[in-house]
Amino acid sequence: MIPTMTVTKGSATDGQTAVISAQNVVKTFANGSVIAVDDANFQIKPGEFISLVGPSGCGKSTLLRMVAGLLERSSGQLAVHDRPVKGPDPSVSMMFQKPTLLDWRTAIENVLLPSEIAGRVTDSDRRKAMDLLELVGLKDFAFSFPAQLSGGMQQRVALARLLQTGADILLLDEPFGALDEFTRERLNVELMRIVSEVNATTLFVTHNIGEAIYLADRVFVMTPRPGRVAGIVEVPFERPRPPSIQQSPEFNALVSQVRHTFGENV
Amino acid sequence: MMDRLSVHLQSLFKHLIVFACVIALWEGAAAVGLVDVILLPPPHAIAGSIWDLYVENRTIYRHFTITFYEAFAGFLIGGAFGLALAVGSSLNDSFRRYVSPYAIVLNVTPGLALTPIVIAWFGFGYSSKIALGAIVCFFPIFVNTLIALSRTDGDTLEMFQSMGASKGQVFWKLRVPAALPMIFAGFKIAITTALVGAVVAEFSQATAGIGVLMQRLSFALDMSGAIAALLSMSLLGLILFTIIEIIDDRVVFWRRGSRMEAVSRRRLARWKTSAGSSSGKPIGRK
Amino acid sequence: MNEIADLTIPAPKRSALNIIARHLAIFLALISAWEISCRLEWLDPLFFPYPSSILEGFWRLYITQGNIWSHLGLTMFAVIVGFTAGSVLGVGLAICVGMSDRLRRYLKPYVIVLEATPRIAIGPVIIAAFGFGWTSKTAIVMLVCFFAPFVNTLNGMISVDRDKVEMFRSMGASRIQTFSKLLLPSALPEISAGLRLAMASALGGALVAEFIASNAGLGVLITQYTGTLNMASAFVCVLTLSALGYFIFRGMEAVDRFIIFWADRDRIEAVGRKRLAAWHSRLGDRP
Repeated sequence: MIPTMTVTKGSATDGQTAVISAQNVVKTFANGSVIAVDDANFQIKPGEFISLVGPSGCGKSTLLRMVAGLLERSSGQLAVHDRPVKGPDPSVSMMFQKPTLLDWRTAIENVLLPSEIAGRVTDSDRRKAMDLLELVGLKDFAFSFPAQLSGGMQQRVALARLLQTGADILLLDEPFGALDEFTRERLNVELMRIVSEVNATTLFVTHNIGEAIYLADRVFVMTPRPGRVAGIVEVPFERPRPPSIQQSPEFNALVSQVRHTFGENV
Repeated sequence: MMDRLSVHLQSLFKHLIVFACVIALWEGAAAVGLVDVILLPPPHAIAGSIWDLYVENRTIYRHFTITFYEAFAGFLIGGAFGLALAVGSSLNDSFRRYVSPYAIVLNVTPGLALTPIVIAWFGFGYSSKIALGAIVCFFPIFVNTLIALSRTDGDTLEMFQSMGASKGQVFWKLRVPAALPMIFAGFKIAITTALVGAVVAEFSQATAGIGVLMQRLSFALDMSGAIAALLSMSLLGLILFTIIEIIDDRVVFWRRGSRMEAVSRRRLARWKTSAGSSSGKPIGRK
Repeated sequence: MNEIADLTIPAPKRSALNIIARHLAIFLALISAWEISCRLEWLDPLFFPYPSSILEGFWRLYITQGNIWSHLGLTMFAVIVGFTAGSVLGVGLAICVGMSDRLRRYLKPYVIVLEATPRIAIGPVIIAAFGFGWTSKTAIVMLVCFFAPFVNTLNGMISVDRDKVEMFRSMGASRIQTFSKLLLPSALPEISAGLRLAMASALGGALVAEFIASNAGLGVLITQYTGTLNMASAFVCVLTLSALGYFIFRGMEAVDRFIIFWADRDRIEAVGRKRLAAWHSRLGDRP
């Protein structure tokens, strides 16, 4: 018996203004023959953690890149902080599956990269970078090079870099996908802690259903061909959550709910 | 540390044994008459010529430096042009589109074919040797640099774009450092090519240089002398190559563990003196 | 040299005709400026012979006098024979050496020394030993064409994926089977690259041999013409070599694409279809 959980399709928020809003957003490739994202509608509140979950080809990465301003949408309205998205925005910060650290820079120099790109690096920037490395537990490795760090450590440096800009919207595209399960779990816990401390709005792309539910307030379930948001599953637990919650019956019910949403639409 | 040293010594020893065997076989074959000593002199004759050239006559040092200078100067000039055109082509698409056909024509033409023309243009003397060296090593540097600058990792490029980086920032902070390993690979090819250009130009017309020395000895049928000169040319090539290797090692420091640690320590020290904050020491992998 | 494809980036959305027209226009503009500058005596004809004389030279050398053909033939003969002999020797020896790890290790220092040496420098030694004439020329080309295929084949053979070698071993494959079904095909891209390098050196090698000591061949023509300061005709010879080099390069590219079909999308589909057809015909059923 599946308990009733609210599965909504793009519901309006209750009172709070959305920090990211999308109306009828569509993205096609190859002159319209490939529909990567079909009619996405959603509103995201400030401070929310949203997971985008689905199999390959469901458009989750494409959607993320449109919010980041890296891809132009084919039609529809997409706004961040009530401004239509026209390109990369300093209030939006993005992290990828590959750490994309520069091999010739030390960890701390990599964390300072966004400040450099923005034009100037002040002493407070430097202090902040060091504090962020301490936040992710890598203060002792500030002057190590990427080649001297493990995959998990590299992603933590990338996480610190993500936060350096002070952006309040964080976009993460399967950041822990290339890591082993143990490291991934550890980093998920850390991510949740950091996001709560910083009180950022987060969009997290993954193909792992458990991870998606564990981290998020709401899970956007996306299906492929064409890519669309099939349903939204609400996760009523308080954040931050202990890892043990993944064994609870309520959690498993949510997993079933998400799978069910896939099932009827794939 | 002692283990590594002993392993190196062991392999060096093995190589020396093999070398000694080869020499011994060669001497034996010559003595028995299997090898025509006029065409291929036995090792002891060659050793004698090496002694003559390096110790008795001592003329070789002058020839050595001349050819070294010709090759290196040619490399620098050809390299400068190659780098400049490659950077220009990388930054500006139209420039690249219009330069490419001419670069391709230059590539398919055997540079050495231009030797008589280059000599007619630059006359006798060093400039024609340097010019030929520059012409033949231009293309490897140009093509390696251009490709290195265009083959940037897509994900890292996206990361820069997501931070709102300008084209110039992307070029200098990402493309150029990422391209350095391949650029230096081009340099290594180019410097040996520049040596070829200098030597070939010497064959056609010169009064001094290792190429001319070797040619003179050959035509005087002093085969052991010619081979000794040839070996000197190998030495010259190795020296030139090693110079580039050393520079490569210093500039592209993030490829080798020991250099990485040294740079790591240096940057930590610099940070401490400028910020005066307490930071940890760099340690290896967790 | 597949890098040449990398050099030419795709043009913006214009028709092919438009692109060719633009390049042609620029080329003609440059040539006209050159011709005019020569006539106005702004440019020294030693460095910049009149384009009109170069054109006239083409006509003379190829048609009226027709002397370029025999020389071209002689040079090409040395190039082809030398290249074939040298690369066959290079690839063959590399295969033998590649099968033995120990042999390869002991050869390594000698290969490094050879790599730093200008191979062409052996020219005068060969000529002194074997005299003037086409045998020395061919021998020089052969020596020049030996090195790149040798080194590349060796590299190609040792850089095979360790996992694949283990898979072959686990299937109980013999050494010959591993060689013919795994090592050789994996090494083909490197071997092909080595052959292309050798071909590039072959032309240069033949010419240098002719410069030093020969009485016939394109290199000799160039020397004679520059000697008499007939730069226009010398340019004609060089441009002939460029054209030759271009066709050789394109030819080798095509051969490369044919043999290493799995790197090219169209070729993969074509070969796939061919094998499907062969399969059906062997089993006797209709596709």
